[in-house]
Amino acid sequence: MANKKIKSKPSSNGNHPRNGSARANSKASSNRNRRTYSIPDYRLEHPDFTVRQRVEKSRDGGEHVRYEVEGDLDTPVPPIRDSKYLDKKQCIEIYRWMLLNRKMEVALENLYKQGKVVGGVYFGLGQEACSCASAYGLDEDDWFAPMIRNQGSLLVRGFRASDTMMQYMAKADSPTKGRDGTSHFGDIEKRNMVSPISMLGDLIPVLSGVALGARLQGRNLAVMTYIGDGGQSTGVTYEGINFAAVQNLGLVLFVESNLWAYSTPSEMQYRCKDLAERAIGYGIPGVIVDGTDACQVYDAAREAVDRAHRGEGPTLIEAKMMRMKGHAIHDAASYVPKAMFDFWKKRDPIARFENYLVKEKKWLTAKENQALIAEVERIIEEEREIAVNSPMPKPESAEGGVFCEDGCHEIKPKYGMPKVRKSAGAYQQTEAAVHLQ
Amino acid sequence: MQLTYLEAIRQGIWEEMDRDPSVFCLGEDIGIYGGAFKVTDGFIDRFGPERVIDTPIAESAIVGAAFGASLTGMRPVAEFQFMDFIGCAFNQISNMVAKTHYLWGAPAPLVLRGPSGGYVHGGPFHSQNPEMWFVHNPGLKVICPATPYDAKGLIKAAIRDNNPCIFFEHKYLYRRIKEEVPTQDYVVPIGKARVAREGRDLSIITYAAMVHTALEAAEVLKNDGIDLEIIDLRTVSPLDREAIAETVKKTNKVIILHEHSRTGGLAGEIAAIINEEAFDDLDGPIVRIAGLDSAIPFSPPQELHYLPKMEDVVREARRLKAY
Repeated sequence: MANKKIKSKPSSNGNHPRNGSARANSKASSNRNRRTYSIPDYRLEHPDFTVRQRVEKSRDGGEHVRYEVEGDLDTPVPPIRDSKYLDKKQCIEIYRWMLLNRKMEVALENLYKQGKVVGGVYFGLGQEACSCASAYGLDEDDWFAPMIRNQGSLLVRGFRASDTMMQYMAKADSPTKGRDGTSHFGDIEKRNMVSPISMLGDLIPVLSGVALGARLQGRNLAVMTYIGDGGQSTGVTYEGINFAAVQNLGLVLFVESNLWAYSTPSEMQYRCKDLAERAIGYGIPGVIVDGTDACQVYDAAREAVDRAHRGEGPTLIEAKMMRMKGHAIHDAASYVPKAMFDFWKKRDPIARFENYLVKEKKWLTAKENQALIAEVERIIEEEREIAVNSPMPKPESAEGGVFCEDGCHEIKPKYGMPKVRKSAGAYQQTEAAVHLQ
Repeated sequence: MQLTYLEAIRQGIWEEMDRDPSVFCLGEDIGIYGGAFKVTDGFIDRFGPERVIDTPIAESAIVGAAFGASLTGMRPVAEFQFMDFIGCAFNQISNMVAKTHYLWGAPAPLVLRGPSGGYVHGGPFHSQNPEMWFVHNPGLKVICPATPYDAKGLIKAAIRDNNPCIFFEHKYLYRRIKEEVPTQDYVVPIGKARVAREGRDLSIITYAAMVHTALEAAEVLKNDGIDLEIIDLRTVSPLDREAIAETVKKTNKVIILHEHSRTGGLAGEIAAIINEEAFDDLDGPIVRIAGLDSAIPFSPPQELHYLPKMEDVVREARRLKAY
């Protein structure tokens, strides 16, 4: 039989050539036995210390196991790296979101102390730059899903501080009408947010699926979510990133290396040097940023979002910082060596950014800064009032809504009907092979 | 058109994909290979690799991605190669998908489907009936058809439903039963049982492959003068309480028959419904015929010992009739 020339084109779905994250060092290609990869690291400092368990003897001869930190903890605080993309106005906006983030959490802490919160409060103290500047990098149509410490991302994406406050107080007007607390809420209509669940890593394939659904409707969207150095230990994290990589979906994954997963240090979660190295294994780009530097976080987010919009697939961004409180309000974090708190306190993301805007760039005068802080405090007070004044839900409102019943939602593709193949083939019965007959 | 149970499911999904561009399939080996049992055979050529997606072996990612896509208004149909593997995605189903509408008001119109059930010597990890894991899980609809007509009508109803539906296909039935299935579009309503055989003496409440076991038993028992009524539940969550009560009121004696293990099985729930709806109509104890409280073993004699058999139904029916 003569060779027929078969018309073929690559599938637009998955099935991409392996690109080895496009980071393999080309110089090394002359030596096929050794490949080297590199991970861009945008930080202006490279803290180098390790946490270990050590047995201490107390005076009474008893033995106690404690964490101790080894390494250089006296290095000077680096400057903020100038953003490649942000202008003055945008920097001030991000700074304002960070202030709102922190002041909202201070208000929550006070509400807790007044006995107005049901359950605990989770804080993103020390992580405000990562939450706010990352979400700031998304376009309006993009999707995101926060983790428990990304309460700032919610503000940037258009939720009100009172939404989160009412969630914590289990109020009738909270976004979930009392059915769940914390940042566990979502909005698939306007703000494109998927509600998180308490189990870690499950959002990663879900957000990838959002990108898949949108792509079928002809849109390359960026879908951003977060995972911690603790949460990334879960198997579903691997499944989700790998799925996004294979399908070339616009996942923007922030791996928030905040050093402590509840009471467990990152040294007991993984063995590689930096979690960004994981990207090599997935065949996707990975970068490292200083999570306390809003400009670095934004630039990495923006570049990853742009890649997603161009249909170039996922990006893993590791943001280094430290969780500056306990796991939740009940936890004093006494297991954290004090020297680590001292080190990272000097790298407070808001103080650093304030210094950058007021003293270095002189984009804000001291007076303007004070006015901005006063405005944020006034907003938070107003939001607090709204939240406090919301009633508790009626007991019977626990019922109903388990299913989407007739007329409850009209379901249709959000970005337009997917295009279908014209090359119609009529339905054919098949006599297929039989497995386990 | 005469269709096998498998072909009916295949045709149902095909027609829905033809009718609605928001329907797409994803799963392991469903594309060029057409699925381990060939349910999606030929789909990739007809609908393209964009809508018939071969995934990594990653059940949590499959369910998660299906759920995410459903949030954008798509209607994904995700295949499990064997329903035994649905355990790998349990958290995603139980904590993410099932709770989403109740907690934050987002509908999740997705279908999780695949082969389940024994009698094919698949061994402990390819023969299970894990439907009860999801019956005790508000927010999910659990569907277990017994006939080609119902399989097609129910898969179409599941795809059109605005809620997460778990569709258990019985692999023993895939190519063993055939029946006339209409060529025009139809759906079978979710949550409605059917009377598979009318009778007056006692009722067998069952579903999926066990409907056929009960029907065989009915033929044997006919010679004893015992007239069985057989209720095919078709959907195991939500259960059709009315149909359960109605048959008890008619025959006053009930056997509940299912493949999965007895303890914590569906029969317990149905017995409770009978207590609530038709206690005064009972003329005898509620009888359970179910799988053993063990894993389902591999070797054919052991597997058969584990599973309910026609002879068990005949024996228990005679005993209950005489009560």
